[in-house]
Amino acid sequence: MTRPAVELRAVTKRFGQVEAVCAMDLSVAAGSLTGFIGPNGAGKSTTIRMIMSIIRPDSGTVDVLGADAIVAKDRIGYLPEERGLYRRMRVMEFLCYMAALKGVPAHGLRARVRAWLERVQLPEAERKRCQELSKGQQQKVQFIASVIHEPELIILDEPFSGLDPVNARLLNRLIREIHSTGRTIIFSTHVMHQAEQLCDRIVLINRGRKILDASMQEIRARFDPRVVEAEPIDGDARAADALARVPGVASAHWSPERRAAELTLASGADAQAVMGAAVAAMPLRHVALRRTTLDDVFVELVGEAAPPSEESGNG
Amino acid sequence: MAEPKDRGAARRVLAVALREFRHTVLTKGFIFGALVMPVVMFAAFAAIGLLLDSKLPPTVGAVAVLDPSGSVERHAREELAPARINAVEFDGKRIKEMSLPVPPAGAAQPLVPRIDLSLEFPRDPAQEQALRDRIRDGGLLALAIVPPEVLAADPKAADGGAASFTLVVPSGSPPRLTSLLERSIARAIVKARVERAGSDWKSLDALLSVPGTSVRRLSEDGAESEENVVAKTLLPMGFMLLIWVATFTSGNYLLTTTIEEKSSKVMEVVLSAVSPMQLLAGKILGFAAVSVLMVGMYGALGVAGLAFAAMGDLVSPGLLVLMGVYFVMAYAFVAIMMASVGSAVNDLREAQSLVTPAMLVLTVPLMLWLPISEQPNGTLAVVTSFIPPAIPFVMVLRVAASSEPIAAWQVAASIAWGFAWVGVFLWAGAKVFRVGVLMQGKPPTPRELLKWIRMA
Repeated sequence: MTRPAVELRAVTKRFGQVEAVCAMDLSVAAGSLTGFIGPNGAGKSTTIRMIMSIIRPDSGTVDVLGADAIVAKDRIGYLPEERGLYRRMRVMEFLCYMAALKGVPAHGLRARVRAWLERVQLPEAERKRCQELSKGQQQKVQFIASVIHEPELIILDEPFSGLDPVNARLLNRLIREIHSTGRTIIFSTHVMHQAEQLCDRIVLINRGRKILDASMQEIRARFDPRVVEAEPIDGDARAADALARVPGVASAHWSPERRAAELTLASGADAQAVMGAAVAAMPLRHVALRRTTLDDVFVELVGEAAPPSEESGNG
Repeated sequence: MAEPKDRGAARRVLAVALREFRHTVLTKGFIFGALVMPVVMFAAFAAIGLLLDSKLPPTVGAVAVLDPSGSVERHAREELAPARINAVEFDGKRIKEMSLPVPPAGAAQPLVPRIDLSLEFPRDPAQEQALRDRIRDGGLLALAIVPPEVLAADPKAADGGAASFTLVVPSGSPPRLTSLLERSIARAIVKARVERAGSDWKSLDALLSVPGTSVRRLSEDGAESEENVVAKTLLPMGFMLLIWVATFTSGNYLLTTTIEEKSSKVMEVVLSAVSPMQLLAGKILGFAAVSVLMVGMYGALGVAGLAFAAMGDLVSPGLLVLMGVYFVMAYAFVAIMMASVGSAVNDLREAQSLVTPAMLVLTVPLMLWLPISEQPNGTLAVVTSFIPPAIPFVMVLRVAASSEPIAAWQVAASIAWGFAWVGVFLWAGAKVFRVGVLMQGKPPTPRELLKWIRMA
């Protein structure tokens, strides 16, 4: 069995009276792309900082790449949520400095930096000062700083925040490429669809505790809503009443936003048969078995009180 | 929880130190402020001397002394003879007062332009208005009106029968010339009085001349050394200011770069590669190099200046070694303080409130410079030598000031005590730094800082 890339055992961290992380047990498989999701202030960033040995846990143990986190620092890449650069440093100089801190030999380093700048479509930035770059460009430079030393484990805390769709797509592609080379990636976000797109495993953290740790496949199976959405060609709330009488439908309600009826399947009902019966019952523009989304899972587990947000926050 | 051994620690510390050094020393601000400006100022002083020597026009012209009695003329001619003015009255006296080496006779006086006066001695008081008109027209540099009563001093009166003479000068007359004429003519009047009284001026002058003093300091062990005003006051101040400027310049850089790393959010990126302690060590090491560069440069200039002024013997190798030790101690105190404060705050304004108490302690040596320099073995000096973080600054004043040696045990004790306190500062500062670098929001109160020290 492959040794996990990250293993937390009964890790607790308090800040004064606040218990930021509470008795956290966590195992991140080597080579996986794991998403840390959770509401703002859930303890995601504190957990990541402990994995990075930026802060030490009050109790419990943190093993990273088979060693103590502080010993493994050079084998980890980290893009923190609170991003920053030395404003007056030139991009090449900054990246060489970060690489030197991570133990990359000076020989061939500049060529490696140039190759990365090409890869993120910033070849002209080499001689620019960091303060001359746009926010998106700075973010790409920070991303390079986190991977320039070819780490075995890469931790990305909200990597897409502030990126335009084009650059977000580029970063998405780069993350996939790096992952395909066998690197372990931990990806923290509270934007659910990004986690859903990228991750093969999800860890949901809330109030310092892990409340979900499963593969996307397991999550889809476990949180299958068993709801069929049926959008009549010409319909209103009365359509829901009509569709409620379709065999296998336990209940139906009308969603004015979607202009569709949401049909909850009865226990043991066959979704395909219900969809067929619905099409037969009235002309439909669209009928589909609703897919499990992380948004739904999140809301179900964390509650409506703490909805996922697009804004960045301290996890 | 003890941290496991990190094999790359030295490499990371050196990388941080190198970055801090390069990004401080190779900036326009540092090159201009700390390197170019002092050199420019040094060169400017030298250039001013040369310019004064070569460019200032000589003061040449006529001076009239309206003396109805005619008894002042001979003495005024003596007093205002060009050789006397330029060689004796002017520079020799001033040089003696400053305890500077007197240049050999005939040597050039670089800072003093030549004064060459032709003298007229009209006797008719009716000429006064015409002489005044000549002053207005620029034909005369000055007019001295010596009334007869000023010569008739009563030797029995306590003030010699106070009377005065009048010196009339053009509105643009240089103060230096006015002062010279005032003193010279007054002296000529005194000489004339003495002559009138039938006394011999040369004998009286010799009798009244104040003897020079050679102060010899005799220590308890019998060693004797010559008193030197420069050695006792200016030199210690110079040494202390050198250490002060070098440590506080670096300390300020340390404070501002730490605050900048926090405010620009780059701190967490750096901390993903180095531990807080490695970062602190690297910063302290990097700015130590900056400080050493400044001390080396200014110190070398100072020593060269002393050697140029034939006072190189005031700086012994032993003194330089002690200076080095106290410099390391001073830098450690200042650097640790600045780094830990920088880590705890979000901007310079917040830093001021935390740095101020320590700065007050550190200004004590500046305020007590004179009493400590004058009495380097006095109670005040001894007591303040053991108050951290002022220890190195006070000790530099004492060891540089002393014509009488400081007891060896006091030097040894101050070093041991001082470095013990450096250890305490480092212990507490490291804990504050470790917590502070990741803190955002309102700055800590002193009580919260103590809490950080306990919890880190």
